[in-house]
Amino acid sequence: MDLDQTEQVDVSTAPESPPEPETMEREKLEPARGHAISIKDLNAYYGERHAIKGISLTFEPNQVTAIIGPSGCGKSTLVRCINRMHEEIPKAHAEGTILLDEEDLYGSRVDVTAVRRQIGMVFQKANPFPTMSIFDNVASGLKLAGIRGDSMRERVHRSLRAVGLWSEVSDRLNSPGIGLSGGQQQRLCIARTIAVEPEVILMDEPCSALDPIATLKVEELIDELKRRYTIVIVTHNMQQAARVADSTVFMLDGEVVEHAPTNDIFTNPSDERTERYVTGKFG
Amino acid sequence: MSVTTQTPPPPSRLTGGARQRRRKNVNRLMMGVSTLAALIALAVLALVLVDIVIKAAPALNLDFFTKNPVPFGQTGGGIADSIVGSAILIGLASAMAIPIGILVAIFTNEFAPPRLSSPIRFALDILNGVPTIVTGIFIYGLLVIGHTQSGWAGAIALAIVELPIVARSAQEVLALVPRSLKEAGLALGLRRWRIVLRIVLPTAAGGLVTGAVLGVARVAGETAPLLLTSSIFSNLGITTNPGVALPNIPVTIFTLSESPSPQDHAQAWAAALVLVAFVLIVSLVARTFNERSRRKIAD
Amino acid sequence: MRETRHQFREDLVGLEQQVLGGLDLVISQLDRALESIAYQDVELASMVVVDDDRIDGRYLEVHQGILSMLARQAPVASDLRIVAALLHVIRCIERMGDQCVNIAKLVPLSGYESPKDKDILDAIEKMGLQARSQVLQAKEALASRNVRMAQDLVSQDASINRLNREIFKRAVEIGDDVDMREWGMFMILVARCLERVGDNTVDIAEQVVFVVTGLFREMDDTTPASSPRIVPEPGL
Repeated sequence: MDLDQTEQVDVSTAPESPPEPETMEREKLEPARGHAISIKDLNAYYGERHAIKGISLTFEPNQVTAIIGPSGCGKSTLVRCINRMHEEIPKAHAEGTILLDEEDLYGSRVDVTAVRRQIGMVFQKANPFPTMSIFDNVASGLKLAGIRGDSMRERVHRSLRAVGLWSEVSDRLNSPGIGLSGGQQQRLCIARTIAVEPEVILMDEPCSALDPIATLKVEELIDELKRRYTIVIVTHNMQQAARVADSTVFMLDGEVVEHAPTNDIFTNPSDERTERYVTGKFG
Repeated sequence: MSVTTQTPPPPSRLTGGARQRRRKNVNRLMMGVSTLAALIALAVLALVLVDIVIKAAPALNLDFFTKNPVPFGQTGGGIADSIVGSAILIGLASAMAIPIGILVAIFTNEFAPPRLSSPIRFALDILNGVPTIVTGIFIYGLLVIGHTQSGWAGAIALAIVELPIVARSAQEVLALVPRSLKEAGLALGLRRWRIVLRIVLPTAAGGLVTGAVLGVARVAGETAPLLLTSSIFSNLGITTNPGVALPNIPVTIFTLSESPSPQDHAQAWAAALVLVAFVLIVSLVARTFNERSRRKIAD
Repeated sequence: MRETRHQFREDLVGLEQQVLGGLDLVISQLDRALESIAYQDVELASMVVVDDDRIDGRYLEVHQGILSMLARQAPVASDLRIVAALLHVIRCIERMGDQCVNIAKLVPLSGYESPKDKDILDAIEKMGLQARSQVLQAKEALASRNVRMAQDLVSQDASINRLNREIFKRAVEIGDDVDMREWGMFMILVARCLERVGDNTVDIAEQVVFVVTGLFREMDDTTPASSPRIVPEPGL
C-alpha cells in the first residue's frame, strides 16, 4: 500500500505530531473463542419516542457484524443498548433481553459497570483522556479497576503492540495522549478498550472522523481483532461495511429489515428496501 | 480623450464604487469609536491606580509593612497586624468555601438529576446577589450578639460570600468537560465517582483553581461583613487567635480615613494600594491557570 | 424531485442500450452473411468482414464504460449484477460478430459455380433463421428481464444442434465428386459457426437469469424448463 504523508495536513490535533508512518507493525493477537450476543425482543425509548421496536438479532462469535441504515434508523441506539449506555441518557430506557453467551445483560441483579467491562466501546470521535499520558490512557481501565504493577504494564504493552502503535510510541509512553494524530488517537482508544480484555467490542462509526489512510489501518486492525473478539460496528459508510464485515444488518425505523452475509447484502439482497438503500435509490 | 481631465476608471466587480467607499468609511468610523472607548476605559483604570499610588506614597516604607499601629497621636507605625489578620480571615474563609463550593458543583453537574441541579444553581445565584451587609447582619445576629466579635464570625461571613462565586465558577468549568470523556470512562466500566475523581477533576483543574482564586480576590476586599463581625479589636498587635476579632485591611482603611490626622490618611491610601495590588496579582495568576486549562480542554 | 444517483442511472441505462444495439448489429451481420452464402455474393461477404469493425468498436466502448462505472460508482446488488452481465454479453456479441465474419470468409472459397446440395442448403437456411431468431429472443429477454424467455432459449438451441448434426451427416454422405465434397466441408464449417452463435445466445440467457435471480446456473439440455427461484432465507 503506497502511503504518502497526508497526515501532516491534519491541523485539528497537535500540530507538531508526526505524520502517519508508512507501515503499521502489529503483533498477531492470540486467537480466542469469541462470545455471542443474542438480542431478544428489545425495545428502547427516548422518553415517549419508540426508537427500537422489538428487535431480535444474534451476533456470531469471532465475526464482524456491521449495522447499516439511514440516519435515525436506530443503529447507534441499538449498540448503546448492548453495553447499557443508552440508559445513561436522561429519560431514556430499554427493556428486553440481551444474552452474552447465556447471561442476560438486563437481568435484575446485573451490575451495569460489570457489563461495560465485558463489552467495550470505541466512539466516533477519538476521546483519549487529555490529562493522561499514552501509557496512563491505555492503563486507565486497568488501574481504576484495581489491576496494577507488572501485570498492568504487561497488558498495556501488549495492547499497544496489538493495535500497531508500539513502534510509533514506545519511546514516548509518558507524553500526553492528545499529542498523537487523529488516526493514532483512535488506535489508542482501541488499545485502551482491549486492555481490559472485554468479550465483545462495539464500534460506533469509528472511522468517520479519520482520513482514508488512517481508516484503512483501523479496518485492518478490526480484521485482526476478530480472531479474539466479537465485533459489532455501526457505520454509515457502506463501502466500509462491505470491506470489513462478515455479516451485515440493515435497519430502518427502529427495525431490522435484513440480516445476511455481507456478500449477499451487496450482490443479491432479498428485501426490496435493502436493495434500494445499498444502490442509493433512497431519496 | 483630453489630456487635462482624467475621469476615474469605471468601477469593476473588484474595485467597487461610491457604495464601497461609503461602507469603508463607516467601518473606519466604527473602529475609531470603539478604539476610543477602549482607551477611555484604560485611562480610567490608569487614573485610579496613579491616584492611589500618589496619595499612598508618603506612607510607603518598610515600617508600614512590618510594624503595628502606634497609639493615637503618634506618627509612624504600620499595618502589619491587619495584613496578618486579613490573611488569616481570608485563609479560614477559603478553607471553608472552596471545598464546599467545588463539591456542590460536582454534585449538581455529575450526580444530581436535572430537577435538583437547576434549583441549586438558582439558589447559588441568589446567594451571590445577597448584599454583603445583609450577610454581615445575619452572622452578627447568629454569632456576635450574646458573645463577642471574633475572627471565626468574620471568616464564616466571608465564606458565605465566597461560596457562590467558587461554586458557580466550578459549575461552569465542570460543564465544559466534554461529555465524550465521561462516556469513555463509563464505557470502560468505571464507576461514576472514579470518573469524577480521575478524569473530570484533573481535566477541569485549571478552571477550578481560577474560580477559587477569583473567589479569594473578591472576599479580600469585602468590608461590610467584617465591620459587623471583626471590627472592634484591642490594639495588642499581631493576633492569630480567631476566637477574638482580628484586625484586617478593609476595616483598617475605614478607621484610618475617619481619623483627623493626614498621616493616617496617607496610611489609609497605602492600605488601599496593598488591597489593589493583591487583587491585581491574584487576577493575573487566575488568567495563567485559565489559559492552561483551556488548552487542555479545547483539544 | 429527481431520483438519487440520477447520472449513474442514466449512464447504466445508456450502457445497456449500447449492448442491445450491439445485438442488433449482430443480427444485421448474420443476415448479410447468410445471404452472401446463399447467393455466393463475394462483395456482400467482404462488406460483412469490414463491418465487423463496428462490433469491435462497440465492444471497446462498452468495456471502457463498464470500467469507468466500476471505478467511479461502486455499483452494488442488482446494479452490480447488470454491470457484470453486460461485460459478459458484449463479449458474446463480439464472438458472434467474429462467427459472422468466419461465415462470410467462406464465401469466395466455396467457388463461383460450385455444385450445391439442396438439402444442405435448406438446412443451412433453417439454421440461419433459427440463429437469428435466438439472437432476437436473447435481446428481448435481456431488455425485459424475462427469465422464462431466457430459459426457453435452451430448448430453442437444441434444434440448432440437431440441424448441425444433420448437415454433418448429409455432408459425409454427399458422394464422390471432389468439388461437391469440398463444398460440403465448407458448409460444415458454416454450420459450425451458426452453432456457435446459438451457444452464445444461451450464454446471454444465463446472464439474464443471473441478473434477475442473482444465481448463476449453467443452462444445458438437462435444465428443466422452469427452475424455481431459490431465495436465501432472510436473517441468515
